[in-house]
Amino acid sequence: MAGGKIRGLMSLSREFKVGLFIVLTTIVILLSLLYLAYEKGFFEKVFTFTLSSKSGDGFTEGMPVVFSGFNIGKVHELELNDKGIVLIRIKIPERHVKWVKNDSTFILYRPLIGASRIIVTTNNLYSPQLPENKIPEIEIVNDINDVITKVPPLIEKITLIAANLETLSSNLANPKGDFNRLLNNVTRVTDNLDNILKKVDKMADKADSQLFGKDGTLPQINNILKDIIGKLEKLNTTVDNINKISQEASEGMKDFSTLRSDIDDTVNAIDDVVNKLDDLISSKKDPEFKTP
Amino acid sequence: MRKLLFILILFLICACGSKQIPEWKDTSARQLENYKYYFLTDKEGTSEPHFVKAKKAIARSNDLNLLGTVYLTRYALHVSIVENFDDTDFLRINKLQPNAKNFSYYNFIKGNFHTADYNLLPAHYSKLLKPAQDKDLATAVREISSIDDPLSRLVACGVWVKYLPYDDNILQIAINTAADNGWGRPLFAYLTRLQQYYLDHQETVKATSIKDRLELLKK
Repeated sequence: MAGGKIRGLMSLSREFKVGLFIVLTTIVILLSLLYLAYEKGFFEKVFTFTLSSKSGDGFTEGMPVVFSGFNIGKVHELELNDKGIVLIRIKIPERHVKWVKNDSTFILYRPLIGASRIIVTTNNLYSPQLPENKIPEIEIVNDINDVITKVPPLIEKITLIAANLETLSSNLANPKGDFNRLLNNVTRVTDNLDNILKKVDKMADKADSQLFGKDGTLPQINNILKDIIGKLEKLNTTVDNINKISQEASEGMKDFSTLRSDIDDTVNAIDDVVNKLDDLISSKKDPEFKTP
Repeated sequence: MRKLLFILILFLICACGSKQIPEWKDTSARQLENYKYYFLTDKEGTSEPHFVKAKKAIARSNDLNLLGTVYLTRYALHVSIVENFDDTDFLRINKLQPNAKNFSYYNFIKGNFHTADYNLLPAHYSKLLKPAQDKDLATAVREISSIDDPLSRLVACGVWVKYLPYDDNILQIAINTAADNGWGRPLFAYLTRLQQYYLDHQETVKATSIKDRLELLKK
């Protein structure tokens, strides 16, 4: 049976086979193109939003619209309305429209280096979608202008520095200038210091020789100290002798009080005898105390 | 032999009859006399212990009047050689037990002639009060010369020379008194005064003579 079918195909004409090949190839190409178009969003729904700006400066058609660094759309067309306001229409594909909300802000960012773009910032992703009839205003951030406005004061400062540098260099170059006079003074001070140092050096040499030389002070002091030590050693013996003498004297003094009392007794006894004799021999009168 | 026995018995009778003198009185009197002697003979180092002994002996009698007299004696000796004295002790005694006689004497040797009581002073000093008040030098010389006791005479000279205008007559009386009794200290004091007196009165020859004399005497 199968053999019969194969035999049937083999029996088809050559023209039919070529026609079938061309048709199938065309169908494959068309399907590929359709797939490519689908993938590129050709069939995707696109939302158009209108933004406004007081100036159209910096806006170009096809300018990218960026959210968090990703392209989510582009500027479709620019238009000037009756009030002189520039209207910027941007197109956002359906898959990116979720980033554009009612409270989103639109900023035209013109960097110093790189292409200008519109940056969309959305703080609350749960807020409702931006209505297509609402026209929010675009804020402009212009790095170039900022730089330009900052340049003049900077230039003024640079000019001032340059002028100061010029004054400084002229002062440095002037032989009678402050700097050169200072240098001269420093040279003089250095010379003086050099002289002083030489003198101090000489003095140190002299002091060294006077202190530590052969006949210097320290050797003499050493000799004196040795002499004193020798004498002190001799004195030790003398002190020992004195100690012995004082001990002996101290022991001898113990008898002094006894001796003194003996003398007192004797003197008192003699005094008594004299008084008694005086009483016996003379007729002693009662003494009278009179001022002279 | 009989004669000797008789004299011995007489001695014993006299001895038994004599009154016993208190020891403190005897000691203080003797020490005070010694003090005067050593003071006037220019032995102050030796004199001072005698004064202390006299003072202590009298202190044992608890008699402040006598103690005051001892201090006044000391002051009078200083005045007799024309020196100042420290009267603190006497004033303390007089405050505790005032004695008019002693205070009058104190006023006299202190030069307070108007305060000194005429009746309470020894007679030879009473006669000096009037001339002292009148600064009558001639009468003073006469009165001082008439004082019998040499020490009193010397004290009178000292009072006059110390507090009143004097002349060489008074100084000479003092010098003679000191010399007669061998009292070196007042002698040198008054000779020095006399030398200064002559220098003050431009009598340089006399002053030099006195100076030479002093040098010789002190040598």
